[in-house]
Amino acid sequence: MGINPIEYHPWKGNRTAQNLRLYVIARSVFRHKTRSIGVIILLILGFLFVHTLNLILIIIVPHEGLEGSDMSSYLGNGTFVVFAMLLAAVVTSDLISEDLANSSFVLYFSRALKIRDYLAGKAAGALLVMGIFCALPPVIVAFVSLLTQTGDDYWHSLGVLGETALVGGLVTLFFVPFGLMISSFTRRKSYAAVGTFMSFFVLFIVSNVFYEFDKGWRIISPIDSLSILFTWLFEGDVPTYINEGALLAIVASLIIVPAAVVYFRLTRQVVGK
Amino acid sequence: MLLSLERFARPMDGEKVAGQEKGSGANRIHVSARDVTVSFGPVMALDGFTADIPRGIVGLLGPNGAGKSTFIKASLGLLTLDKGSISVGGLDSQTQSLRIRDGIGYMPEHDCLIPSINAVELVSYMGKLSGMISLDAIQRSHEMLDFVGIGEERYRPIKSYSTGMKQKVKLAQAIAHDPKLLFLDEPTSGMDPQGREELLGLVKKMASSEKTIIVSSHILQDVERICDYALIVSNGKLVRSGQMKTLLAGEEGVRSLTVRGSAAALSGYVRALERICQIVDKRDEAGEQITFLIRGCEDGKKVFRLASENGVQVRSLHPESLDLEEVFLRAFRGGGRDGH
Repeated sequence: MGINPIEYHPWKGNRTAQNLRLYVIARSVFRHKTRSIGVIILLILGFLFVHTLNLILIIIVPHEGLEGSDMSSYLGNGTFVVFAMLLAAVVTSDLISEDLANSSFVLYFSRALKIRDYLAGKAAGALLVMGIFCALPPVIVAFVSLLTQTGDDYWHSLGVLGETALVGGLVTLFFVPFGLMISSFTRRKSYAAVGTFMSFFVLFIVSNVFYEFDKGWRIISPIDSLSILFTWLFEGDVPTYINEGALLAIVASLIIVPAAVVYFRLTRQVVGK
Repeated sequence: MLLSLERFARPMDGEKVAGQEKGSGANRIHVSARDVTVSFGPVMALDGFTADIPRGIVGLLGPNGAGKSTFIKASLGLLTLDKGSISVGGLDSQTQSLRIRDGIGYMPEHDCLIPSINAVELVSYMGKLSGMISLDAIQRSHEMLDFVGIGEERYRPIKSYSTGMKQKVKLAQAIAHDPKLLFLDEPTSGMDPQGREELLGLVKKMASSEKTIIVSSHILQDVERICDYALIVSNGKLVRSGQMKTLLAGEEGVRSLTVRGSAAALSGYVRALERICQIVDKRDEAGEQITFLIRGCEDGKKVFRLASENGVQVRSLHPESLDLEEVFLRAFRGGGRDGH
């Protein structure tokens, strides 16, 4: 131990409240993800292909006001949702699978932390990263459009801005629970990433197959259901063959069911079980 | 060494029958389990486990699968008890587990570190999860890594660490928030002798800061070296417990005698010895040497005189003392307090 051995010293500081500990996890996830090469590349590509072009068009093309139809075609053309799906797959892939693989649950839950807080922390970190792509840029594009509009109906534009924020928030939230659920099924993050993306892709294919028989099947494809939802929010109408209740139920179930599954799965699987 | 079972059926001074509360003052009960049953399907991991764990360094001994780790996890409130209760510092493990976990440190047995981050990040992260503010957590993580002897390697990803270094990081994360109670589950597992030595030294150092440290191990020498108190667990039950010095002292009035000589001389000596004292145990070593445990022969002169008369040489005569391995083995042969 050398000439001056290092002794154990007690710590005299104060503890933060137990219910604030989930922010530690959220901050850690956010910091880790925003330094990840894969996430950075996806964010750059996404910005280039989805947001930048629309931002430039809005700046250079004169427009009287911010229209819902413009935002609907910008966000509902599929590219935005596909990139969001890819990003969610990459961001959520290791959030639980790595803890399963390393058995680091035991470290988390030897602290004053509930499974609920652990999951909320992981999800919050992922949502923050998703928000960088899904919520922030559309709101910026809408805001720039509002600032550069030639007309003076700002209340209408503000309404569309609000709808844009709502849509951004919804897409931010939509894929994370599903990604977390798939991440809790495997110990390998590559499986989780591919699994998340492929699950949505399979739903898309199934939807297209059954679309030939009944157009209502479109809603089981996450890409289509979100596009239809955007049109509904921005323009106030949905195709006649779509049942609004079923659409909302599908969207809600793709958020709530995976969240419940991952919670119960961790409850059963966590330390010592 | 074969011994009669009844020798271990009575408590010795300073020992406790499982479930009986004893200590007071400096030796207050810190963790207390009452009739705890935990099962995983058909497997009974803890089966009516009752124990009182005083302050200090306490060894939790038992073979693999005895229920040591289950007891620790149950104490942390990580497992649901089928029956019974565990109190940690006066808090109930089932209803107040978050408060318990806020005040304890846990060094798990198995690999559980996050391999992609470095030791400073891991220890400070765990400190923050224990409620330390960021600045405190980082400063404290450096202090604890200094304490456990992780030098510049602390900036390398944990996946590049040796087993010994990982064990030290596990210890550092367990003590980052300065818990009053520390559970160390197989702390020296997989370590080389030098690493073991260092880690046990650290545990002893920490104990001087008024911590209760519960060391679960199947390495008896480790427990014997550092613990003040030991509990022996088997098949989910407490087999034996007591102050270490009491456990190792052997029974009062029993002496160990070793004599050497020819087979005929030894045979005559045994017959003569039986007339003056009770032979509790006899171990014949290759027909040339016998080691006895004798009781009721306070006057050693008689033993030497008989030896001289029978032509055998007395190699040693001293009060019985045990090592923990013997205590452990005897407990498992059925000399436990609750019938094991």
